[in-house]
Parts: sequence; structure tokens; C-alpha cells
Amino acid sequence: MNLINQILTGKAGERLFLLGNEAISRGLLEAGVKVATTYPGTPSSEIGDVLSQIAKRAGMYFEFSVNEKVAIEMAFSGSVSGLRSFVFMKHVGLNVASDSFMSTVYSGAKAGFVIMSADDPSMFSSQNEQDNREYSKLAHVPMIEPSNPQEAKDFLKTAYEISEKFSIPVLFRTTTRVSHQRSTVELSGIPDTSGMKGMFVYDKGSYVDLPSNSYSLKERLVKKMREIEKFSNTLGINKLIENGANDVGIITSGEAYNTLMDSLNENNLRADVFKIGMTNPLPSSVLFNFLNSHERIIVVEELDDFLEESVRALAQENGLSKNINGKMDGYFPYSHEYNSDVVSLGLSKILGFDFKIPQPMVEISDLPKRLPVLCPGCPHRATFYAVKRAVKMAKLENVIYPSDIGCYSLGSYPPFEMADTMLAMGASVGVATGLAKTTDQRIISFIGDSTFFHSGIPAIIDAVRNKSVMTLIVLDNRTTAMTGQQPNPGVPIDGVGELSYEESIENIVRSLGVENVVTVDPYDLKSTLLAVSSALRYEGISVVIAKRECAILRDNRMRREKTWKTFEIDQDKCTKCMRCVTTFSCPAIYMDEGSVKINPTLCDGCGVCAEPYVCPYRAIKEVVPVAD
Amino acid sequence: MQTNIIISGVGGQGVITAGYLIADTLSSKGQNVVMSEIHGLAQRGGSVTVELRIGDVYSPIIPQGKVDIVIGFEPIEAVRAAFRGHKDTYVLINSEKQVPVSLSMNAMEYPSDDFIFHKLQGFKHVVFLDASSMAIKAGNVRAVNTVMIGAAMASSVLPISLEDLETSLSKRFEGKLLDINKRALQSGIDYARNKLRENIGTLQYP
Repeated sequence: MNLINQILTGKAGERLFLLGNEAISRGLLEAGVKVATTYPGTPSSEIGDVLSQIAKRAGMYFEFSVNEKVAIEMAFSGSVSGLRSFVFMKHVGLNVASDSFMSTVYSGAKAGFVIMSADDPSMFSSQNEQDNREYSKLAHVPMIEPSNPQEAKDFLKTAYEISEKFSIPVLFRTTTRVSHQRSTVELSGIPDTSGMKGMFVYDKGSYVDLPSNSYSLKERLVKKMREIEKFSNTLGINKLIENGANDVGIITSGEAYNTLMDSLNENNLRADVFKIGMTNPLPSSVLFNFLNSHERIIVVEELDDFLEESVRALAQENGLSKNINGKMDGYFPYSHEYNSDVVSLGLSKILGFDFKIPQPMVEISDLPKRLPVLCPGCPHRATFYAVKRAVKMAKLENVIYPSDIGCYSLGSYPPFEMADTMLAMGASVGVATGLAKTTDQRIISFIGDSTFFHSGIPAIIDAVRNKSVMTLIVLDNRTTAMTGQQPNPGVPIDGVGELSYEESIENIVRSLGVENVVTVDPYDLKSTLLAVSSALRYEGISVVIAKRECAILRDNRMRREKTWKTFEIDQDKCTKCMRCVTTFSCPAIYMDEGSVKINPTLCDGCGVCAEPYVCPYRAIKEVVPVAD
Repeated sequence: MQTNIIISGVGGQGVITAGYLIADTLSSKGQNVVMSEIHGLAQRGGSVTVELRIGDVYSPIIPQGKVDIVIGFEPIEAVRAAFRGHKDTYVLINSEKQVPVSLSMNAMEYPSDDFIFHKLQGFKHVVFLDASSMAIKAGNVRAVNTVMIGAAMASSVLPISLEDLETSLSKRFEGKLLDINKRALQSGIDYARNKLRENIGTLQYP
């Protein structure tokens, strides 16, 4: 039986080896959640991948929303109509959702309402590593932080209990190494929620955030948080790990707890550890006792000095004169995820023991880098290639390329190097419009299909209204590719696999007032080149939609249909001009003993390299299958 | 007690599946095992690393110098992972090269065998396997990762029995595919065990 099914049908007491995000999916079932929404974002995406397969069978409403703001509004609706609701997103997604998020906290929750933020310390796949724990203070919401998959599942239940007990949304914060950690998880039972239906009951005082209401809602919120603070002192997920050390007490949470425990073991150190499961509001009386009963207090946490600041404030408030160490006095870094070496280094300086990070066994600075690349057959490669050629043919100089978030972000790397700005989802068009106003340079901006729907549309309206001169290339690969091929509004399938309305990007763009719009197939290099060339001559906003399914979807389809083909290089015709390797740069094409070759296991037969724009000598041809 | 493993390779090679198979086997035997996978921005063709820790550990991140086994699906990526090893680390390498685009783009070729060997000279236990050919011989080229798991089992530090791993394989495969994977596993074990026993002074490709 496959793992996804086991997540749905596993019995209480059964043990599964689960990814943090899979454990969270199971946790939602165990908590009786009826509504779940998201916009895909690493490191939270796998939850959606699981729910899209099991939600219908579990009697849960699940959707990939158009963006995080809509997703949080959907989940709010679930909660206020009496159904436990969940919304999940990556950390920067909460920025998009934040406007509604802040107000939902004033309005409060009816049935449990949990908002998950998956943070990405070290930025494995993000534009920043903002510490979303800060949002809990900004919004005045309780916040829960698990350290591993088991806790991720179990703490969810606590989150729902707190949300309902105090009628307040709860922020549930993971990081990459919690969401993407796999370990053994013991399951609990799933309650029967079949037949539950939402009912919205009018409550003007709570749900209408007019100034006159919000004035008192704010006071109600502050009061709730005071009550939650008192309650947190009795909460089981705030765990004291006593080792009988009255000299050193360490306060920690989340993944930092894991690296701390490893560091204590590695160095044979004895310390009491206060592992905080609910990091806002902090349990001040328990925490005070912990401070009071240790000679030295150390705070170990990734990213911001979120806990440390509060710990220092608590000591000051109570007139405690303590040695408190952390990152504010320089022992631990503010940047990037921790590992036990980072923690050991800090602890060794504070506690005065010898610790050296072992010398590496191998010198790797001269190893060839393996930069992230577009897949073999990726339609974006063809589009970038065509745009680059069109710019060269038009002899344009000082072109600016505002780009956006998606697989095509990789267009920033050689050989294309076509990303001059990249800020946030949908930001390419706004930046392009601004640059069009502030410079006389030609602007070519890139946006993907999912990003277009997510937040590109308002900026296009702005560009049209303000008569911006720019060319926008919409890279429509028929999916939300970078996060793992989730459907978006441009495809006729919804988040649970049912037929749905297929939005037309071309129709939308036209309806916004863009007159110069054309859709091309990027595999057809010639047509794409001509379309881009023509768009670049237009003195207004021109849009080229490069529409072709993602290579991964195409590969899966070809495997199913058994229509896979590959290409090879005719060594007699190849002049070794190197154009295909240096300017097209498909991972399947490589140099070997002076010859250019195509790796048959990587080639997916898109055939774009065989076009004369890439190989003018027609040396690349389809492999004719040999009969058995 | 702890055992730390890095499995590294290129997106699309089955690196994560290999990690999952080893970890799930240990997990079902009641061992504490934590695993973490980092695949960065690229869907295919980028480097993929799985860190797998067994025993008395909390964080999935292996400290510097504590890697006991490197399962490298590709020579360059194996060397990159061996950075965090120690002199007794078992370094098991699939000899099939995947040329990084960063080289092709500059019309450069893959580093020479000597370059790779030189990098690994500080390690006592290094085995290169032609895992693709071995997988094909076992019946399916996609069984490369099972061959590599077999190679890791030939080291004395991976606490898994052949029987346990075969049980895991049977949860995942059936019929002909199960047989192919069992053969692939055994061929990896046999080849690596012989090479390790020979204790070769000089490195060589198979």
C-alpha cells in the first residue's frame, strides 16, 4: 500500500516513517480539520500534494487557492462557519496573506483556525529568510513551534484546542528541517466528522472590522493574549528537560532544540533545557522560575533574537541580575540555519571548553559547480533562447529584464543571464512599469503562469493605465512547476483532480486593455523569435505568451503514451561550433574527448536543439529506433 | 552510538528513494532514524543530498567530520559529500559521470579520473562501481539505487541485515521487479565486499 493511503487509513498506534509535512497532513485528519487551503510554496508544498490525493476521501474541503491572501480568507470562512480550518504557506506567503491575517486575529476564530508558516532558514528555495515568529507579536497571536515530524502532528491538536478555547487563530511555525525531516511517527485515531456542515451565524461585533468595532476588538485581543499567557504556564508542550544542572539552563525551540541536544551529546555537556513549544506568549512564571534557578542562562534559537529579547526583558522586569547569553552578545549568528557545530562553537565560548570544527577531508573549492538548471526539454530554455536572439537581432542595448519567482528564475544563471531584478511573487511587472517610467531603456519582463494569476494581474492593469512601454513574456508551462507541478487556474483541473474552468491568460490580458498580445509555442523557435521581435517594436505594452507544458509533465505523458524519442549528434556534420553547448546549454548536451554528445538518458526529445537557430549545420537529428 | 550517511547525486537519479528505503528499513526495526533531503531550486539536473542519521541523534544535519558512509550516485557529487567525512568513512561511488552544465557551457570536459582519485586519497575505504551496468545486468537500469544500497551494506557500519532490506523491497516492489531489485542489491553487496576485502592501494574504475 502506498504511503499516501497509509496516511489516510493508518490506525492509532501504527508507526509510519513520515516527512514532517506528511505528518502534518495526518495531524489535520486526527484534529478533525474540514477545510484546508494553500498556495504552493517550499518548504510547505508536500502537505498540498498529500491533501490533493486524500481530501475527498477524508471528507475535507481542500483547494490550491490563487494566492495566499485568498487562501487565508477561505480558511477564515471555514472557521467562522464552525468547521476546523487550516491554511498553510511558505514564510513569504504570509506577507501576501498578512493584510487579511491581521484582521482575522481581531475577528477571532469560532471553530479552530490554524495558520501555518513554513520558514526557510538558509534560503534553500526562497528570496529571504525572514523569521515569521515576529508575526506572532505583530498580530498578537499564539504561536506553536514543533521540532520534528511527531511533534508537528501532535502539536497541531494542541493548536486547535488553544484556538477554540480562546477563540483566536493560532500561528503554527515550522522550518525547512522540520517540514522536510523524515522520522518515525506514531499515529493516533481520526475522529468521525462525516456529516459536519458549516453554519455562519451573524456576529457583527466580531466579523465586521469597522473602526468602531475594531476599537473594542483590539482590547478583547489583548485580554485574550493575557489569558493565554497564564494558560501557557500549564501547557505540556513547554517541556523542561532536567539534568540536575543548576549552573547552566538553556532555552530553545524548534529545530534549534535538535541541534542543541546533538551539541550537548557531542561535547558531553550537562545542562537543563527548557524546550518551548508555544513561543508566543511565553510562559512567564515557569520561565521566571527557570531563570531564577540557574546561574547562567543561554538562549539557542535560529535567525532572530525572538526568545532572547523576551528572556532578557523578563529578567529585567523581575529585577534579576543574570548572565544571559545568546546572539545579542555575539555568541550565536543571526543568519542561516544552525547545525550542532554552530551551537557547539557558541557554547564553547560561553562555557569555556575546547571545540574545533574538524578539518575537511577534501578540498572542494576547485570542484565543478552543479548550478540549478532548467530541465532537458524545458520550454523556458527555448523562450529565453528566442528572446536573447531577438534582442541581438534588433541590436538593442541596455535592455532591462525584470524577472519573477518560478523555475524561470533560473534564467538568472548563465548562459541566459536574463534577470536584472527579482523581488517577490508578481513583482516583475510592477518593477518593469516603474523602470519604463524612469528610464529610456527597453524593458523585457518575465512572469510564469501561476505567478501571473497569483499577483501579476493588478500590475498589468497599472502598466496599461499608465501607458507603460514594455514587453511582458508570460512563460505559461501549464502548471506550478517549481513547487512540484500543482495545478493553477490556467488548467482545466482543480486541486482535487476534478474538472474545472480553464482561465485563458490571453483573454485576461486582452480584457485588461493590452492590445498587442500573441500566444506562441516556444518549441517553435522561429515563430517565437518573430513574435518577440515584433513585440519589441511596439511602442506600448506588448505581451507574448509562450505556452507549452512543463517538461516534467510532458515526460510523464510521453512515458504513458510510449512516444518517447531522443536526439543524437551526427559527428560527420558537427563542426564543433559549440553553439548548442555554450548558448543553449541543455543538461543532455555535453563535451566528451573533444566531441559534442547527447546523453540519451537525459535527452527528452523536445528537438529544439535540432532547429537551425541552435544548430545551423543540421547535425542534430532524431535517433531512429533500431528494430529488435 | 550513531551512524551518519550522506547520499548524494543529481536530481532524477533516485537519491531520495534510496535514502527512504534505508531509513524505512531501520525505522520499521524500531531504530531511531532521522533523514533530511535538500534538493534546491532545480527539478532535474541539480545536486540532491540526503542526510540520514541513525542512533542517538536529534537533528537531521550531520556535523562536520561525522559522515560514516557516502553513497555517491555520481563522482563529483560523491567528492563533494566526502568533504564532511573522516579517514574511515566508506565512500561508495557510482562511476557513471553526469557532466554539469557549468562545464559544458564553457566547452569544458569532466574532470579526469586522476583528479577524482587524488581528491579521495585520504580515505581508506573507497569503492567505484559501474552501478548502471550492474543494474542493467540485474534486469532494469532504474535499479541503480538498489545496487548502491547494496554497496553501502557491504561496509561494516550500516546496521541493516540483508533480510530486513529485502523485506523493505518487497513492500515496494512485487513479482519480476522485486526479483530484479533483489539481484541488484546482492550484486552491489558482492562487488563492494570483494573490493573492500582486496583493500586496493590504488583507486581504479571498475
